[in-house]
Amino acid sequence: MATSNPSREAILARIREGLRTPAPPMEAKTLDGPIFEPVQNPLERFQQECKANLMECQVTADASGSAQVLAQVLNSLPAGEVFLQDDPVLRRLMENSGSARQLQWSSQGGPAETAQATVTLADALIAQTGSIFVSAACGGRGASVVAPCHIVYATARQLVPDLVTALRTATAQGRLDNHSFACIISGSSRTADIEKILVQGAHGPMRLVVILETNS
Amino acid sequence: MSSAAEQFLRDAATKSADLVHREIIRRNMDSYEAAHQRGRSRIKNWEAARRRCQEIKREAIEHLDKYLLQFEEKVIAHGGHVFWAANGDEACAYIKDLAVSRNVRTVVKSKSMVTEEIHLSPVLEKVGIKVWETDLGEFIVQLRNEPPYHIVTPAMHLNRQQIRELFREKLGEDIADADPQKLVALARRKLREAFFAAEMGISGANFLVADSGAIAISTNEGNGRLSTSLPRIHVAVTGIEKIVPRLEDLGTLWPVLATSGTGQPITTYSTLIGGPRRPSEADGPEEFHVVLLDNGRSSLLANAEEREVLTCIRCGACLNICPVYRNIGGHTYNTTYQGPIGSVLTPHLRGNDFQHLAQASSLCGACSSVCPVNINLHHHLLHNRRDAAASGNAKASERAQFRLWRTAMLHPGLYRLGGWMMRRSLRLLYGMGLAGTVFDPMRAWSRKRTPMPLPAKSFRTRWKEGLEKEEQGRGQVGNK
Repeated sequence: MATSNPSREAILARIREGLRTPAPPMEAKTLDGPIFEPVQNPLERFQQECKANLMECQVTADASGSAQVLAQVLNSLPAGEVFLQDDPVLRRLMENSGSARQLQWSSQGGPAETAQATVTLADALIAQTGSIFVSAACGGRGASVVAPCHIVYATARQLVPDLVTALRTATAQGRLDNHSFACIISGSSRTADIEKILVQGAHGPMRLVVILETNS
Repeated sequence: MSSAAEQFLRDAATKSADLVHREIIRRNMDSYEAAHQRGRSRIKNWEAARRRCQEIKREAIEHLDKYLLQFEEKVIAHGGHVFWAANGDEACAYIKDLAVSRNVRTVVKSKSMVTEEIHLSPVLEKVGIKVWETDLGEFIVQLRNEPPYHIVTPAMHLNRQQIRELFREKLGEDIADADPQKLVALARRKLREAFFAAEMGISGANFLVADSGAIAISTNEGNGRLSTSLPRIHVAVTGIEKIVPRLEDLGTLWPVLATSGTGQPITTYSTLIGGPRRPSEADGPEEFHVVLLDNGRSSLLANAEEREVLTCIRCGACLNICPVYRNIGGHTYNTTYQGPIGSVLTPHLRGNDFQHLAQASSLCGACSSVCPVNINLHHHLLHNRRDAAASGNAKASERAQFRLWRTAMLHPGLYRLGGWMMRRSLRLLYGMGLAGTVFDPMRAWSRKRTPMPLPAKSFRTRWKEGLEKEEQGRGQVGNK
């Protein structure tokens, strides 16, 4: 369905007309050097920032260690269904965790309102801000926000130093041409709308757990 | 004086004398200030960051047509719709018709100042659609049936006890100890029902990314995520000035926006949405609409002197530092956008009735000093004062006073005489205890303050005496 747009041309004409008059030039100023402190050790920085963001980052050496951590996290949650991104890596991890929970895979649709946890992969990890970069490929949109606990399984090779690198890579890979959604997540859901007091778990996850495997 | 200006003066006088309000705002602002300073110290070169953001936004605004068309082309290619609205009525009509044609009964809204600007919710409610504000602060002010108090923290003016009382009355549950954790949990429970029931989610956009055809939304609570993930239709309503050229520009803009808004290194959810769900995706809306709103912005663009006002990223930093905002509070402005940016912007968006807001400033320049895109806000307030005077909207008494002052300035003898008469008459008046009464020409100052002490001699005399003394001093030094 084509959208009827009676004012489109008039708005564009007004913009073009307005821009005929040049704006006063910017004040000449030279500010050398990087804006952000360059990241020297991405793994270390990522862990530091995760802590500051009130995320849980569990570093593991291999897949069996990761499965063990996943089992521990799932065991700490109330009874209920777990939603997972349908990916062979996560199917294997879940099997190795030995968890007997009821599972729902993303190939069957989005997570249910009652899901206790979601488990997804990430497109990248960003050291500068301790963030995980997910797209719709990581189990869809609801996978990282509907359940009270979001568990991300990632490897140290996915670490990028900073936001600009992550966004440049996303552009180069056409992430937003191929997917309708992407999000840089830097902690659990939170609010400070009441007297500026921080409360975790406003509408989304109260816990964000990253299982970070170093020897994959 | 317009009735809006009179109302402003009345509300400002009431609010600045409200001690409970002052205490709430002081505590909030102290907390923000500490977080903001911590946040700025995490950025290695803050001035370079501001400059970079200024350059990005300026490039976008100087090529607004090109980048908007690039954005539109991408959104359509991804299966979305773009509607260009000349004003609020057109935007509201489009969204209302869309909602009615798709049998929408419930709408969940994430925080959007542009939807406040166009008064969208009443339009939808009029046709029987239930609208839920889902940002906690917005939810609170919606329950109170009042507009947001602040563009970033809508319920900043309320303390936990007031919110407890509100929830008890409107939601029927009493959180006895007014614990913020429990108050938030109650709101979460109520709003979760709405998220899963709604057929339409309405959001704003912090940025429109031209090269990706995506909207960028920054939120902490996750309500923006749920509003744009669960309902089957997503409508993003945004001003045309929100465009940025490249996705990688957000690598600077996101941290700077978060630092200036709340002191965070980056908001919890920095979301990019570029269309409806693709066939291979697990979930997401089937329809994606972007409403691009002009509503006076293209007229502001044509004003080259004030064009840079369109580069604002709505972080709220200028409100937080403004001594006027801190005293009179957000509702006194009676505008969608409050504080210095609101005082600059509103006369352009809503006309001459809001020209008085240019006076709501001490011109101290604190707003300009914190603006993350280097907008010279206090300078633009001066421009607005000039324009207000030129448009002939000044009070007759003010115009007469300035004419008198001009005459005196052009005739030094008259000026001297006026000063002499003023000093003597005020001394007499104050001696009779009439300071601050209707007989006192300085009443605007002295009715609520101690009268200023009257000098024994005029400035001119004191200046002359000072110069003579200086001359004598120099002479003595020269004689040594």
